[in-house]
Amino acid sequence: MHIRSIESLLKEKKSQPHQLIEVLQDVQETYGYISEEAMTTVSQKLGVPLIDVYRVASFYKAFSLKPRGKNLLTLCQGTACHVRLSKLLLNQALTQLKVSPGEISEDGLFTIEQVNCLGACALGPVVLQNGTYHHHMNPGKLRKLIISIRKAEKEETAHAQTQ
Amino acid sequence: MREFVTIIIDGAHVRAAKRTSVLDAAIEYGVCIPHLCHVPTLSDIGACRLCVVEHVQNGRSKVTTSCTLNVEEGMVIRSNTEKIRKLRRNLAELLVAQAPNSRAVQDIAVRCGVKEVRYPFRNSDCTLCGRCVRVCSEMWQVKAIGFVGRGKNRHIDFPFGLRPDSCKHCSSCVMLCPMTITPCDGPMERGQEHLCGHCESQLMIVENTPDACVFCELGKGFNCSRQALGQ
Amino acid sequence: MPRLNNCKDLESLKERLQARRKKIKTTLTTCAGTGCQASRSWAVIELLKKELAKKGLEKTVNLRTTGCNGFCEQGPIMVLDPDNLFYCHIRPEDVPEIVSETLMKGKVINRLLYTDPVSGKKITTEAEIPFYRAQDRQILAMNRKVDPCSIEDYIAAGGYTALAKTIGVTNPETVIGAIKASGLRGRGGGGFPTGRKWAECHEAPGDEKYVICNADEGDPGAYMDRCVLEGNPHLVLEGMMIGAWAVGAGKGYIYVRNEYPLAVKHSRIAVEQARKMGLLGENILGTDFSFDVEISRGGGAFVCGESTALMASLEGKVGEPRAKDVHTVVDGLWHMPTTLNNVETWANVPMIIQNGAAWFSAKGTGGSKGTKILALTGHVKNTGLVEVAMGTPISKIVNDIGGGGANGKAIKAVQTGGPSGGCLPAEKFDLPVDFDALYEAGSMIGSGGMVVMDERTCMVDVAKYFLTFLQDESCGKCLPCRLGIDRMLEIVTDITEGRGKREQIPLLEELAQTVQETSLCGLGKTAPNPVLSTLRYFLPEYERHIDQKCCPAGVCQALITYQVFGEKCNGCGVCLRNCPNKAIQGRKKEPHWIDSKLCTRCGICASECKFDAISVS
Repeated sequence: MHIRSIESLLKEKKSQPHQLIEVLQDVQETYGYISEEAMTTVSQKLGVPLIDVYRVASFYKAFSLKPRGKNLLTLCQGTACHVRLSKLLLNQALTQLKVSPGEISEDGLFTIEQVNCLGACALGPVVLQNGTYHHHMNPGKLRKLIISIRKAEKEETAHAQTQ
Repeated sequence: MREFVTIIIDGAHVRAAKRTSVLDAAIEYGVCIPHLCHVPTLSDIGACRLCVVEHVQNGRSKVTTSCTLNVEEGMVIRSNTEKIRKLRRNLAELLVAQAPNSRAVQDIAVRCGVKEVRYPFRNSDCTLCGRCVRVCSEMWQVKAIGFVGRGKNRHIDFPFGLRPDSCKHCSSCVMLCPMTITPCDGPMERGQEHLCGHCESQLMIVENTPDACVFCELGKGFNCSRQALGQ
Repeated sequence: MPRLNNCKDLESLKERLQARRKKIKTTLTTCAGTGCQASRSWAVIELLKKELAKKGLEKTVNLRTTGCNGFCEQGPIMVLDPDNLFYCHIRPEDVPEIVSETLMKGKVINRLLYTDPVSGKKITTEAEIPFYRAQDRQILAMNRKVDPCSIEDYIAAGGYTALAKTIGVTNPETVIGAIKASGLRGRGGGGFPTGRKWAECHEAPGDEKYVICNADEGDPGAYMDRCVLEGNPHLVLEGMMIGAWAVGAGKGYIYVRNEYPLAVKHSRIAVEQARKMGLLGENILGTDFSFDVEISRGGGAFVCGESTALMASLEGKVGEPRAKDVHTVVDGLWHMPTTLNNVETWANVPMIIQNGAAWFSAKGTGGSKGTKILALTGHVKNTGLVEVAMGTPISKIVNDIGGGGANGKAIKAVQTGGPSGGCLPAEKFDLPVDFDALYEAGSMIGSGGMVVMDERTCMVDVAKYFLTFLQDESCGKCLPCRLGIDRMLEIVTDITEGRGKREQIPLLEELAQTVQETSLCGLGKTAPNPVLSTLRYFLPEYERHIDQKCCPAGVCQALITYQVFGEKCNGCGVCLRNCPNKAIQGRKKEPHWIDSKLCTRCGICASECKFDAISVS
């Protein structure tokens, strides 16, 4: 992952308080979450009081104040997915991974998030995995997806270790 | 040179300075409109909704908060219709069911005519009125505390939960907070929450003259603006 | 990309592009909208490119990648013109055959044809498909004709001619008058007359004005705006430019919700291309009209669909609405006069200017003119985006276009308008898609979401679902919304978990009324609608939950039990192994059974069972 420092993310936006949300989105995309250090730097460089940076970061769902697992599984809970029983998907994921929404699983591989509609309603229930859309999901398919991701990660770690 | 307009509150012609709110005009004139998040000299945000009135325009009346509505020449306001009293009562009922452990909140409930609470009580220690946030931000321009989170998770906090150096312990936030005044019977522990309703004598007066300010004891509970003016 | 210095440049470019396109006879249109991408359409498209090159066909076949066409469940989709041949559910392994058999030999591949779920027959052309035929596709039809990343496609299809007809040619009052005469009303949910909004903004004092495109489509189950913005961003841009010129704005923003990355990407590309051609920036088409657009992403908050919250978000603040005693057309973004309209509203503008107000107002009812795009989802055979004339009865949409109930179940209700709307029972399906008619019936068009529900849906659970959604999305500033929705949810949850009491129903209604009247913004004001409409039309379901502690639809987890059908169970043990609570017992090859005391009704066993032996009672 190409990591730019927070300062460089702020390059053309110094002292422009109204760019706060755009800047935080860049931070979120780059680091996967927004740390206290990041918020303090943003506050200083943009000229926004620290409480207001914290306020915005805690208000919007796009921002996570805690690190996330390697695989972000976003489960759509929109109406169309709901009537196709997307709630069961949530039960399945939380039970299988033994986490609460927003937390990282013990092996550090997964975080489950809910979103209130991804806009792919005809294909529901939908699960978004790190940018890839999985459609017409049910608890069984989700269980198999999680198992296959785990397997792939194990193989990747084993492969890296032998290098 | 201050400019004035005339507005009509509950049939009475009231002279009010331009760029003041209907709530300020009403309070100064002696009309009682219950309020919680309003504090004189601080901005009005219309969060508690207790100060709702009916604004009559073009034959239709719209329910709106009087603290965010600025006076205009000829404006017609009704602050004590049956509809408004019912809405206020329901709002106060929600408020006291959420945060009963405060004399201010209990007083407001009585003033708004709450006779029973139909929801299970909770024991929150914050009404989210925002008085503390606004005094820190507007009067002292420090911004040491603020609203954090959204919806059910909305709460007041320091940045990252740590008191910053910019907080000088002035206690303005504490002085304005309605939760620091214990209920007349004493603090209510978890499971002991109830509707106080002790100020029955006050209630008789306010029931007979619902819209007139009678400098009721209830107002002292939440630092009612009229009390502040009277002092 | 040539720079267009005046209207003549635009006209001659259009002619050149059209002439070039006429030369190629065969066009392959494939969809790469979010829906089809989820079905891996990019793999198909990449393979098509390779295959066409391999066979030397890249010069004679025009491969066009479009945005969403609305029939997502059939994706990946391909249409072959001039024959209008329609293939669906295409997999990468089908590509070589498509190229060698259909393109080169003219043979139709039967298995790739669309099967009409009602008649069971195969249909060859797109135009014959009942789903499309029963619609009135004005905006959606354009998505088929343009690659969203190609401004040339848009210009060749007649784009920006409406703009050329207005700026520097007529005057703002004429344009505003045309929009007023058309009867266009806001398509985002408010239904406010667009012409009147523009007029008020035009008259508002101030030199610095703004136009905003609200693409924060937060209604769950609605994705019309995603489709239009992803598939034809230039249409929206052109509408904004015309509006900006009419009200006197020099800067515009497209506020796109964070969950639509493709729409953000395509809007950015469109703005860049427009700038390069001189259609955005200083002195557009040689006039003294200067205008530029910035794309802004949302942070993930449904409340930012509300206009004052959206503007606060654009200003870098939290999306908390403010009191609107002074309208945003006078005091909006940065306290300047601002015209905020929805994506679909802007998208209608160029066609109204091009074809005239009378063309638009000829369609629809007395109070609702033109066409509306709806997102038809849920328990119907054909789900997808549907564009119909206002006034079309719901029954036509659900049956003729939707093909009726899926899985042979009877349709119970239709939910329209998202969390601000309500549920209408089947008896009300003769109601037309009309702002006022639906409002009187206790629902609303809203942004256009239309979720069909059959007997597998519990209406009390639907009320609970929407309240949960709104509680999550409420900004929390005002008391009635924050506490009122919370308490309504508490009561409805009690009912779904068998603790309901009869006296809670009138309390729910009284509380709903208070929330409606006293909430600060539209979110709170309309929050009670799902509850109120389900109480109005489905009271018996509430009563059964309360009196008999029973959920007739079999949804409310606390009131149902999962059971194994002994006759269908062959004892394979899959359910037993997958039960997280070890609640299933049984020996191999013998019927299994579920211990309801241990069962948490998570539903995993029913979804794993391949023999349909587990059901809900």
